[in-house]
Amino acid sequence: MRGILLAVVVAGFMSLGNVNIGAIGQGLGYALAGVTVFMTFRVLGFVDLTVDGAFPIGGAACAILIVNGHSPEFAVLMGFVAGALTGLATALIDIIFKIEGLLASIIVITAAYTVTLHVMEGKSNIPLLGEETLISRHSKAFRTWLVEQFGDQMRRQSTNLLEIILFGFIVLIVLGILYWFLRTEIGLAIRATGKNPQMVRATGLNHNMMIVIGLMVANGLAGVAGSLVVQQFGFADVSLGFGLIVRGLAAVIIGEVLLRPRTVGQLLIAAVTGMLVFDISRAWIFSALDLPTTDIQFVSALVVLAALGAPRLYDRWKAYRQRLGG
Amino acid sequence: MLSLDQVSVTFNAGTPNEVRALRDISLLVEDGEFVTVIGSNGAGKSTLFNVISGAAEPDSGHIQLDEEDITYWPEHRRSHDIGRVFQDPRLGTCPGLTIRENLSLAAIHGRNAGFRRDVKMAEESWFFEQLERQHLGLENRLDADVALLSGGQRQAITLVMATLTKPKLLLLDEHTAALDPNAAEQVIALTQELAEANDLCVVMITHSMQQACDLGDRVIMMNRGRIEFEIAGEERKNLQPADLIDRFHSLADGTELTDAQLLG
Repeated sequence: MRGILLAVVVAGFMSLGNVNIGAIGQGLGYALAGVTVFMTFRVLGFVDLTVDGAFPIGGAACAILIVNGHSPEFAVLMGFVAGALTGLATALIDIIFKIEGLLASIIVITAAYTVTLHVMEGKSNIPLLGEETLISRHSKAFRTWLVEQFGDQMRRQSTNLLEIILFGFIVLIVLGILYWFLRTEIGLAIRATGKNPQMVRATGLNHNMMIVIGLMVANGLAGVAGSLVVQQFGFADVSLGFGLIVRGLAAVIIGEVLLRPRTVGQLLIAAVTGMLVFDISRAWIFSALDLPTTDIQFVSALVVLAALGAPRLYDRWKAYRQRLGG
Repeated sequence: MLSLDQVSVTFNAGTPNEVRALRDISLLVEDGEFVTVIGSNGAGKSTLFNVISGAAEPDSGHIQLDEEDITYWPEHRRSHDIGRVFQDPRLGTCPGLTIRENLSLAAIHGRNAGFRRDVKMAEESWFFEQLERQHLGLENRLDADVALLSGGQRQAITLVMATLTKPKLLLLDEHTAALDPNAAEQVIALTQELAEANDLCVVMITHSMQQACDLGDRVIMMNRGRIEFEIAGEERKNLQPADLIDRFHSLADGTELTDAQLLG
């Protein structure tokens, strides 16, 4: 099963060729939102859809700060804070009103839509054209360097390559920090909260506090992802987070099926890999079938269905073969 | 020292399903005392533990640990002073975390979790000693996922975790009932060793008349939310399982014993 999947992924990569390496950069931009879903569903054991709201809020905060002349680094940091506050809202609703995560996060997403609009000063879209972003700051120098080194045919890919390098670097750093964090005492307590909340209380730790910290960190990452994607797209939009939770879930599951992670480090890498594979295979389907961009959500849904459904179908097929005595 | 003063707990109060789980329970357990609790299903044994550990709140009455009134402390706050081991070995340890990480969590007890790396070297050698003493071969598997261990091994680790930071009181809720006889024997031996070494107040619920007679200084029999009788002193020393079963049958309402209780 795993072999077949790996083969499909590699084939996807190969046929992708030069067609669209932009999918890799895009996957890296969204990767931290996959980590958000991993943190909430897998680590905290909390069914949390807040990522759909935290992502556009983070992106909006980042965009408005850049437009107002702040540095893109500071803007990304504030994107984290904005996402973290969204996570805090869900955690507090869950803890104070004892409303389970699924409902609490739906309430927060609904409110987040308005908050995002307000953050963007009433506009539903903020263009970043001509502003200094993490990418635009280096794009000219990078293009000159690339053309000097590898010739003129690289000119077209220069932005894509820059995104891959920059975002790859940022994602690696964030993963490193998260790896350290999940192995500190607080990190251990957060991990235990998902697996055995009774034990966390019996250990004298306030397990509500762990949910608060966990959801804030997780959704802060969604805010960072939103900030990166906004700079990549060159605009912030209020509808940017639509359907992100499904993508995040797909990323986590694809990563788990492909890599069979066991340790914390492996699990983190699996979530990021899952998001990359998701974006690459979606881009591959698009270019192979020559579809218009209007069909993007449908194709997303199909890829998620495949990621969720294939392992289950395979298990049933295996059971069927066993019944036949094969 | 643990003291309960007229503690009552009612579930679904004011509805047709009202259950009076504890009725005016008063109980005193001295430092270093080991008390076993027996009683049929629904007698209120687990509710007694829940109300002591803070998982349930009493309608009336007071609970004191040493000189402090802990009646309305939240669960996580009292757990600084109260270690608890459950019947289900999966409840006391956390799968997905290694033995080392589980022990580290238990070692946080009594202070706030910080950004320290999970274990310091000094603690690690201490963990090693604790595990080595049990002869379970776990001391060399500190980095093994707890999910891979047997029930007996997990229960032994839970016991070490529960006593790691020297609580004032240890609550054992049929903690050997889910284990095979060999593992149960080992865990009981470890229980006695840890209780004596730390001079703990121990309260142990058991379904086994044999255990109730073999372990501890005092037996308490619960029935329908009340303490029906206590056996201590000289009488307790000469107590046989058959005597306990007779006392059980002599209860006016004819509470039935399960086979497990008769045989165990």
